Amino acid sequence: MSELLRIQNLSKTFGRHEVLRDFNLAIESGRVYGLLGRNGEGKTTLARILMGVIPADGGSVLYRSRPIAFGDSSYKREFGYVPEDPFFYEDMTVRGLLAFNARFYPKWDRKRAASDLERFSLDPRSRIRTLSRGMKLKLGLAVALAAAPEFLILDDPTSGLDVPTRQDFLRDVIRELAASGTTVLFATHLVHELERIVERLLVLHGGRLILDEDFDKVKAQHQASLEDIFVRLVAGA
Amino acid sequence: MFTALVFKEWREKALVFFFELGILGLLLAAPFALRGKTDLQEWLVYAILLLFFPFAALILGASGFEAEYRQGAWAYLFSRPLGRPAIWLTKFSALLSMFMALWLVFLAARAALPAIREITGGLRLLLEPLPGSGFPWWSFGQSLFLLIVAFSLSLLHERQFNALFVALVLGLLFPAAAWSLIMSKTGGFMAWLAPAKAFRTLLISQVLIALAFAGASLRTLVRSDFSQPRKQVRTFVGSFTVFVVLAAVGTVGSALFIPVPAERDLGFMGSSEGKAVYATERGLFSYDSASGRVRWLTRRRKVIYWSSSIANGRLAYTVLNFESRRDATEEIWLLNTDGTGRKRLIGRATPSAWPPDDSVQGLTISPDGRTIAILTRNVARRRKSQAWATPTLWTVNGDGSGLEKRSLEALFPDGPEENLYVAFVAWAREGKVLIILKRHSIRPVHWSLWAYDLDRRTASKVRDDAVPATLWWWPQNPQPKDILAIRSRHSEESSRTMALLDLATGEETEIAKGEQPSPFNVRWDPEGERMSFFVKKPDPEGRPSYVLTVYSLAAGKAVAERTLTDSEQSASYSTAWMPDGRSILALDGDGRRLRVLGPDLQDAGRIDLPDRIKEPSGPVVVGDKVLLVDRSTQSLWRFSLEKKRWARIY
Repeated sequence: MSELLRIQNLSKTFGRHEVLRDFNLAIESGRVYGLLGRNGEGKTTLARILMGVIPADGGSVLYRSRPIAFGDSSYKREFGYVPEDPFFYEDMTVRGLLAFNARFYPKWDRKRAASDLERFSLDPRSRIRTLSRGMKLKLGLAVALAAAPEFLILDDPTSGLDVPTRQDFLRDVIRELAASGTTVLFATHLVHELERIVERLLVLHGGRLILDEDFDKVKAQHQASLEDIFVRLVAGA
Repeated sequence: MFTALVFKEWREKALVFFFELGILGLLLAAPFALRGKTDLQEWLVYAILLLFFPFAALILGASGFEAEYRQGAWAYLFSRPLGRPAIWLTKFSALLSMFMALWLVFLAARAALPAIREITGGLRLLLEPLPGSGFPWWSFGQSLFLLIVAFSLSLLHERQFNALFVALVLGLLFPAAAWSLIMSKTGGFMAWLAPAKAFRTLLISQVLIALAFAGASLRTLVRSDFSQPRKQVRTFVGSFTVFVVLAAVGTVGSALFIPVPAERDLGFMGSSEGKAVYATERGLFSYDSASGRVRWLTRRRKVIYWSSSIANGRLAYTVLNFESRRDATEEIWLLNTDGTGRKRLIGRATPSAWPPDDSVQGLTISPDGRTIAILTRNVARRRKSQAWATPTLWTVNGDGSGLEKRSLEALFPDGPEENLYVAFVAWAREGKVLIILKRHSIRPVHWSLWAYDLDRRTASKVRDDAVPATLWWWPQNPQPKDILAIRSRHSEESSRTMALLDLATGEETEIAKGEQPSPFNVRWDPEGERMSFFVKKPDPEGRPSYVLTVYSLAAGKAVAERTLTDSEQSASYSTAWMPDGRSILALDGDGRRLRVLGPDLQDAGRIDLPDRIKEPSGPVVVGDKVLLVDRSTQSLWRFSLEKKRWARIY
């Protein structure tokens, strides 16, 4: 598998709080990565830096061996992003948001968008402001999937979803993505959600990765539930 | 992509736009309901231009990033594959298109409704330098400026009202500060001394300040971390500080180094001893025909050269030296035309000089260059009561000594008169007598010539109902023959006669008669023997023509005549005597060549003008050089009669 993304010595500080410190990570294409971390450990910050929403204070990111500068936008055509907080333009309709996004992504899949709306029970005529948080998350996911991304960042996407949708999402959507060769970075603090879907486990603590290992290997090494492994790792760090 | 973003912005701001459009529609429709109440109609149009458009621009601009703040959609927008400059540009384009749409509606109403057209046509305020446009550029420019400021600031705060309020304050503060500077001493009182330049400087400052706001906003959007508002504000302030300093440097630089066409000024002050002196906006310079060099005599910017007189190689002149906007010092200076001996004869600190409320009305230097006569008058009194104060005559020696106040009350036996005007005309009896022109009243205009004897300190009337043949060129014979060319009113309103007045004997010889405004453009030859002038006469077909005439003192009659032009303008400043005192240079009617006319006024040669001279004026002959001013560029050209070559010398 080829390397898709390389993050080197990334750092980010908010005021006096150093969220990321010499953060290093290599992501190979076609794999599903699970990024675990407690609240406020920097998962969202990492996702936002990768998506060019906020600048890093230091370090570099290479996408397909090409450095990405803050302000670059072309690489984002191949990135999908479902943010933790599903903020959209509230006055738009669901259909309007899809049409708005369709202009930016060359691989936009209209059929996929339509079928995902149906799958997530989203009415294309609904105004976004009338949707619940969970529905907005679904809409975000539909937008991200319709863009047919090479790399999808999911920032705690299931926290607002109802149980059936969460099950559907975790079981089917991620599986479909993995099968289609999309690389996924699934950031969450809900440890058990990663159990059935990740191939490689990343644990973020104190601004650095304290674990970057194949999930199966971790399970075999520790002979415990993922939750226990996570607690042990964080406590020992 | 661009269209999608612009469309998104239009959809988001549609409510604001249509609300503004509705207000504009009401304001435009109101005049129909107010038929006959023209004052109210005018105020409504003023309200549109002074209040509606600026506030509409502020509201639109302040809504620039409002949706991203209100709905927290920053992360969503920035994570799309869109460059941040493109986001900034599309947002601004959308707002600009709404702003332009409002103006288009106003322009359509203006085109359809003559009442609005008339009112806006008369409203120019600061835009007098753009005459005839009729379009209220000032309102358009100011509201566009506010749109940019508000849009730039909308990036910094989630509350639209806060952005609007700060934009209003800053949007008024910066232009006001620029204008105050332009009016101040630091700004060289530009608003008073060079209004066209002041206006351009204000425009440049406003454009650059708008660019500073826009640049800081764009830089903040491109570089800043929107999850850290304080850092974002710091980025904006830091960028804006740099840009606004650059804007200030650019504004000052443009004011200092790029002249405004209307600002450039080149005026002939006189010639003496082979040197011609010119006044410019940068100072005075003389051109020496012998060396062919220009020498700067003064280089002062914050000064107005008000009045001057040149004789015997010496130049006396007044300067208005601004101490503050309301306080200018009038000074009188003397220098030799070779640049030496520059001396202030009278300034504010000169003891026993005229009081500060008095102003110099004119000055003249005696033929020997030793005495300077000055006319002053109390101007404060005129401002207050419309009553014109009696002028006072002063004389001072060329070394600054012997300042003496002399009474001219003999000229005004009935006290100060309305619309009084006095001016120096000539020196007589080897500089011992001054000839003064006085206008008694406006309706009917009544002029008289007076002689003031400097030794006896007495004034006596020389001639009633007469004026000098020209006030600009010295009408007196250049040799001490005390002969003055005058024009006298004729009983017929449409005609004038020209006569030579012997100042010693009072004898008067009529030499020409013509229609108004002739005879005019009097030029004496260097020997003072012959005089040329134009007379306006009808040609055989009854059309006006201007006849160049040469009168000889020795022959006692006109010795040559020739119809040169049918244009009064081209006859006005178009002749000069050649150094030989026999030939005359005349600027051709089309302004492309100088004709050399022999003693009989027949063509004896011609001097073609360079193509670069567009609006020739003059000529002036100094030594063996011909000097010509190009009014289109306010440049000075010289032609060497010896080398037959033109060169631009200023």
